[in-house]
Amino acid sequence: MKRTLMSVLVGSAIFTLAAAPTMAAVTDKDIENDAKSTGDVLSWGMGTQGQRYSPLAKVNTSTIKDLVPVWSFSFGGEKQRGQESQPVIHNGKMFVTGSYSRLFALEAKTGKKLWQYEHRLPDGIMPCCDVVNRGAALYDNLVIFATLDAQLVALDQDSGKVVWKEKIDEYSAGYSATAAPIIAKGLVLTGVSGGEFGVIGRVEARDAKTGKMVWVRPTVEGHMGTKDGKDNGISGTTNATWPGDLWKTGGAATWLGGTYDPETGLAYFGTGNPAPWNSALRPGDNLYSCSTVAIDVATGKIVWHFQGTPNDGWDYDGVNEFVTYKTKDGKHLGGKADRNGFFYVLDAKSGKFQKGFPFVKKITWATGLDENGRPKFDPANRPGDPAKSADGKKGTSVFSVPSFLGGKNQMPMAYSPDTGYFYVPANEWGMEIWNEPVSYKKGAAYLGAGFTIKTIDESYIGAMRAIDPATGKIVWEVKNNAPLWGGVLTTKGGLVFWGTPEGFLKAADAKTGKEVWSFQTGSGVVAPPITWDQDGEQYIAVASGWGGAVPLWGGDVAKKVNFLNQGGSMWVFKLHKSGK
Amino acid sequence: MFFLLRKWPVLLVPLVLLSAPALAAMGDDPLQSPQWTDIRERYLGGGKVVFDSRVVVSGPKIAEDSMNVPVGVRIGLDDVRRVLVVADLNPIVKVLEFASNGAMPSLHFRMKLQQGSPIRAMAQTADGVWHVGGIWIDASGGGCTAPSVGRGNANWTETLGQVQSRVWQGETQSRVKVSIMHPMDTGLAPGIPAFYIERLSLRDASGKEWMTLDTFEPVSENPVFSFDFSGAPPIGLTLVGRDNNGNRISAKVAQ
Repeated sequence: MKRTLMSVLVGSAIFTLAAAPTMAAVTDKDIENDAKSTGDVLSWGMGTQGQRYSPLAKVNTSTIKDLVPVWSFSFGGEKQRGQESQPVIHNGKMFVTGSYSRLFALEAKTGKKLWQYEHRLPDGIMPCCDVVNRGAALYDNLVIFATLDAQLVALDQDSGKVVWKEKIDEYSAGYSATAAPIIAKGLVLTGVSGGEFGVIGRVEARDAKTGKMVWVRPTVEGHMGTKDGKDNGISGTTNATWPGDLWKTGGAATWLGGTYDPETGLAYFGTGNPAPWNSALRPGDNLYSCSTVAIDVATGKIVWHFQGTPNDGWDYDGVNEFVTYKTKDGKHLGGKADRNGFFYVLDAKSGKFQKGFPFVKKITWATGLDENGRPKFDPANRPGDPAKSADGKKGTSVFSVPSFLGGKNQMPMAYSPDTGYFYVPANEWGMEIWNEPVSYKKGAAYLGAGFTIKTIDESYIGAMRAIDPATGKIVWEVKNNAPLWGGVLTTKGGLVFWGTPEGFLKAADAKTGKEVWSFQTGSGVVAPPITWDQDGEQYIAVASGWGGAVPLWGGDVAKKVNFLNQGGSMWVFKLHKSGK
Repeated sequence: MFFLLRKWPVLLVPLVLLSAPALAAMGDDPLQSPQWTDIRERYLGGGKVVFDSRVVVSGPKIAEDSMNVPVGVRIGLDDVRRVLVVADLNPIVKVLEFASNGAMPSLHFRMKLQQGSPIRAMAQTADGVWHVGGIWIDASGGGCTAPSVGRGNANWTETLGQVQSRVWQGETQSRVKVSIMHPMDTGLAPGIPAFYIERLSLRDASGKEWMTLDTFEPVSENPVFSFDFSGAPPIGLTLVGRDNNGNRISAKVAQ
């Protein structure tokens, strides 16, 4: 066998030499240049900074009327559910993950299937919010993705064979993983899911080629970090912002992954809610829950943090992506549309608060932000302590806005350097929320709260919004009946693309918000679109398949979504060329 | 019987389609299998093939349990490079491949059978010639498309990759028997992806590989393998391997 292969290789050596550079492996340089290069999409966020902006302009406000489907690919089987994945593109191949920890390799131009990998999942997995996956990372000849049973799998891009596999943690303790990994300096960076089960949030960096652990940085105060297997300092100061032992099951899950800016050398990870939900049990700020932590990729240490919701009592799980950008006067900033309803602008290097303002129309839990960006709480809008109720079983119930699903959830926003606007898929909704007594049990839900979501405006929940980070103004919005749950893409062509649960992929003029195009994909869109060019043509792609967290909670919202059907497919578009 | 009845409409179509051309193509195959010419082309390429009684496959005439059919392979030839084992009429034909480098060229294991089928061992000697032997094993069917038993056990991840082993020492040779906990899902049961051990090797303390195996979906759930050595087994033997999801297997073999 080996001998045959050798002779074939020798025989074709001349041709191989002539055509050598085409099969290049993905390098750190390629990844750092991803936002500018148009022939590939190597990272979640279309560049690790997460701007989801493409310099492509062939598809623009005047040509978009000719945007038509090229191919559609079914993820197949009976395993549909939510498809939240952003595909990546390299060497003319598309790699897209599906629900239930599946990964598909397709020919990007034709949709021809090359291979598929289906991870064998145990029955006992505990993803809180549907069996989704948000995408894969590319490095060297590998495509790397995380699975619902909290493992990281690296496969050969060409053969689909597993090259390495590492366990993140025990799924039976409530850990899972749904975010797309990102690559920074040869390391694959990942977070953990499981904030509803009292897990410990952390960011992990592994050698992307081998899977070997390099550093671990816990996102709950008091826990020890490691680097190269040795202690690397405790995160924060033990018990400074947590009482007693609660930090040991403190949550702050990094379940949406992160972004990375090569100019600062920092990886920005959002952190989720502290556990349990009942805030009366844990007086203090509960660092680093509901924050953005900036970690030096070289040292594995936290350089700065910014906390949106100290002592969170509403599940304002602040994992939302921190997207770095440069202003026209050269400032290096980052923006974050937090689940708590506020949009924060921070210095990308220092984390210093620049500006904060609501991006939703109603916020009840805080009356505003102080000069450091800390919320001015409304004490009357915090769910009451069950211990202070008459029977000790249920605290005072309050009606809070936004709901626990947030002003924005997992759907990533986009930033256009052309307009200077962020395009934020926002939702307007509220909740009744009350606290109940709870104690931690490994592998069991650790909430201590009851809740129900309510609409606050009968006519819509979702709103695609252009937000000017310089003024804090909403420049335009396109309302949507159901809550928006897919991400956003913006382009040099002056366009903004996003999908809706009703199944439409839409495009609007980035300056005015005027809808210029839409296409019905057959099931709800809860994934971010991408674009790339190949052989002189610009392609747009999005996964379709209704699911995610929204259909799992009923309440008032159900009537806007319970008639929507599941799916599981990839759609690709380009400009129509008339036949001659 | 249940499986046979359920699968009958599915099986009927390919059988009818195959019967006419297949009869003509059986050629010199002593097992008169309708698949033989395809198998020869697909797995042996243009290599020279001889039917050889020194390639001995043993097994029951009728499989009692289609999901655990005991099969033995013994090769009475010198200088065997590698041995392929195939089940002609299984939906996944290739069962395993092994190469011994110090261990005796023999292997006993258990496999799944979807229906009655020829089971063949095809051994390639150093001169490139394929020596083929085999038997028919009859089976009531359904071994490949039924979910693994482990599927019903929610805790299969806790035992995944665990190895038990035992050594029998005879006067002139020894046998090492290993069993590995693994669902070995074929991917043909609805909704359950293929999940199987794909590589195993027996290494001694110095790292030398005495036996290597490439295994495929038709090998039984919680596979059992017996390896033979002349004299005592090598010192410090370990079984190492991995499955198609990248889960690793590594265990010391009993001495």
